[in-house]
Amino acid sequence: MRRRNLLQATAVTAALAALPRPGIAQAPKKITWLTWNLVHLESHIKGWIASFVAANPGVEVEWIDKKGPELPAFYQTQLVAGTPPDVIDIQGALGLEYAGQGALLDLSPILAREAAVKGSFNADYLSNWVFEGKNYMVPYYISKTLLFWNKTRFRDAGLDKPPTSFAEIMAAATKIKGGEKTGLLTLNFDWLYWPFMQMSGVELLSADLKTPTFNTAKAADALGQLAEATKSGAINGISWTGRWVEPNEAFATGNVGMLHAHAPAYFWIKGKGPWINADTLGAAHAPGGWATPNSHGLGISKGSKNPELAWAFVKHITGDVVADSLARTASVLTGNKVVDQAQLVRLEKDDPAAFQVLKTQFEHTDKMCGNWRLGNDSRVKDAFWPEFQSAVLGRKDPKTALADAERRVARELRRA
Amino acid sequence: MAACFLLPALTIFFLYRILPLGWNLWLSFHAWSPLKPAQFIGLEHYEEMLLDDEVFWQALGNTLIFIGCSPLAIMAALAIALLVNSDLKGAAIYRTIVFLSYPLMTVAVGIIWRWLYDERSGFINWVLRSAGIINEPLKFLQSFDMALPSVIVADFWQVLGFYMIILLTGLQAIPQHLYEAARVDGVPARARFLHITLPLLRPSIFLCFVVGILNSFTSFDLVYVMTNGGPGHATELLITLIYKAGFGQTRFDYAAALTVVQFLLLVVLTWVANRAAGGNAGSRET
Repeated sequence: MRRRNLLQATAVTAALAALPRPGIAQAPKKITWLTWNLVHLESHIKGWIASFVAANPGVEVEWIDKKGPELPAFYQTQLVAGTPPDVIDIQGALGLEYAGQGALLDLSPILAREAAVKGSFNADYLSNWVFEGKNYMVPYYISKTLLFWNKTRFRDAGLDKPPTSFAEIMAAATKIKGGEKTGLLTLNFDWLYWPFMQMSGVELLSADLKTPTFNTAKAADALGQLAEATKSGAINGISWTGRWVEPNEAFATGNVGMLHAHAPAYFWIKGKGPWINADTLGAAHAPGGWATPNSHGLGISKGSKNPELAWAFVKHITGDVVADSLARTASVLTGNKVVDQAQLVRLEKDDPAAFQVLKTQFEHTDKMCGNWRLGNDSRVKDAFWPEFQSAVLGRKDPKTALADAERRVARELRRA
Repeated sequence: MAACFLLPALTIFFLYRILPLGWNLWLSFHAWSPLKPAQFIGLEHYEEMLLDDEVFWQALGNTLIFIGCSPLAIMAALAIALLVNSDLKGAAIYRTIVFLSYPLMTVAVGIIWRWLYDERSGFINWVLRSAGIINEPLKFLQSFDMALPSVIVADFWQVLGFYMIILLTGLQAIPQHLYEAARVDGVPARARFLHITLPLLRPSIFLCFVVGILNSFTSFDLVYVMTNGGPGHATELLITLIYKAGFGQTRFDYAAALTVVQFLLLVVLTWVANRAAGGNAGSRET
C-alpha cells in the first residue's frame, strides 16, 4: 500500500513537472524590501506595503528587517547568491561602498527623468549619496550632528550661551567639569566626531580624495587639546569608547555639559532624562555650523529583476503620504521637503524642545562634513579611527598618532 | 554497505566543512568581491598580512595572550573542582552556582560584564571606591592596558563552570582505592595530588586546553559586545579582525587569508597541546 502511494506521488510530481508553465508567467511581480532596525514599525510598514500593493494589483512586496550588524552580512551574502533584495535601506556611507562595488543601480537617469520627485528631496541630503557623479540613493530618514547643551550645567559654570568655536567648547567643558560632572561628550562612530577637526580647520583628504591632508600642526593641536581635556575629565572618556547608548545615557543623567550627537539622540535622552525640556536643554550648531550626516537612504540593487517596480516602490515610500506617516510615527525627518516642513510646524506647537533640535537639521546643510564620497569609506575609517582614539586616550602623542594614521590612510587610498 | 550508511554524514561533512575550507583557501589567493570576478594574485594577501598590516600582528598577539591565559582558568577550575569534590558542606550548591554562568548566552555575559566594569555606575568600581581602595574609577574597558585583561576575566567567568564540570567528572572517575593505598603508605596529600590526581586527570585537562584554545579563537561575541576590538585595537582578536575585514570592509578575500592563518595556528596549537599532554591524551588508553 505504501509502495503504491509512493509510486502515485512520484507519478503526480513527474506529471506536474512536465506540464507547461503558464502559471509562472502569471505569477505576481515580486520585490523585496530590506530595512535596517525598523522592526518596531512593523504594523505601519505592513500598512505602507498594503497601500502600494492596492495601487499596483498583481504585485507582491516582501519585507525583511535586519538588526544592526546583521544587515551588511545579509546583504552581501544575498549579493553573492545573486538574489539581492530589490530595495534596500542603508545608513551612512555604506551605500557609497555598495555603489563602488557595483551593487546599486544608478538612479541619476531616473531622477533626471522625474524632476518633480528629485525636487521633492532636500538637495543637500540627496547629494550625500552621489558617488563619482552618480546618485545611488534617495533620503529615507535623515539626520546630522548638533551640539546639545545642558543649560543648568552651563548656568552653574557661569555660562549662558553655547560655544561658538573649538576653543570655547574646550573652555566651557573645563569650566563645567568637577566631581561627577564632565563638560563634553561626543558620539564617535561613523565619523560623527569629525566636526571637531573640521571646525579646527583640518581636512581629512585632498579635494580629489586621493591624498591624506590631515597631518598638520592644526590637527595635532586640536587632537592635543581633545586628549588633554579627556585626561582632565573635561571630556568624558566614554566619548571615545562608547557607541550609542553609553554616551547618550551619560548625558541623560544631567551631569554632562554638552553632547555632540545626531538629532535622533534627542528622543532617546529625553526618554531617559526627566530633567529635559525646552528650558533646560539647548540645541545649537557645532561651531562653524559643521555637522556630520548620519542618514538612511533607499537604493535599488543592480541585480533587481524588477527595477521599475522597485523605483515605483521607492517613490511610494518616500512620497508625501507614507513619508508623513513615517515622520509622525517615528519622530524623524525624512528628507521630503513638504513632509519635513509640516513636521516642524507640528513640533513647534507640540514639542518646542524637539522643534529646536530638528530645525537645526535644515540649517547649514551646506556645511556637512565627514561624508566623503568614498567607495572604501570603512577602510579609511578603520585606518584613521584607532590612531585618533590612541591620541585622545593618551596612548600616543598626537603627532605620532597623526603620522601613523596618515601612513595607514594613504595605504588604503593606494589600495583603492 | 558500511559506505552507504556513512555516505549521508560524509556528504554533509564534505559540503559544510571540506568544501568551504577548500573554497576559503582558494579565495585567499584571489582578489574577489561579491560582484567582481576573482583574479588570481598569488600570495599578495599573505604578504600584506605579514609585512604590511600591524593590526594583524596585534590581533595575533592578543589571541595568543587569550590562549596563554587559559591555563589560569583551568587551574582555577581545578581548584574549585577539588573543593566541590571534597566533603565540603553544600558542595552541590556551589557546583551549581559555578556552573550557572556557562549556559548563559555570551552576548548576555558581555552585557553583564560591561555593566560590572562601567566607570560611572559599575559594581566593581562602586565596591572599590566604597572600600576606599581607589579614589578615581578604573576605566576597565576604556584603558588600552586593562581592556584585554578585563575581557579575559569575563571569558574566564563564563567558561569556568564548564572546565569545572569536565575536571570534576575526571576526578570522580579516578579509582578511590589508589588514594586509599597511598594513604595507607603514608603518602602526603601534595604527593597524592601530583602523582595520582594530575596524571589521571590528563585527558580532562587536555580537553579543557583544547576547549580553551577553541574558545580563545572564537570569542567573537564577547569581544564584539564588550569592546568591539577597542580601544584602538587593544582587544582585537583574529576572529574579530576576520569579521571586520569580511563584513565591515567587504574584503572577503583578505578575510579568507586571515582565516587560513587562524586555521593553521589552531592546528599547530592543538598538536602542541596534544604532544605536551603525552601524545595520546584524550584517548581511551590514557
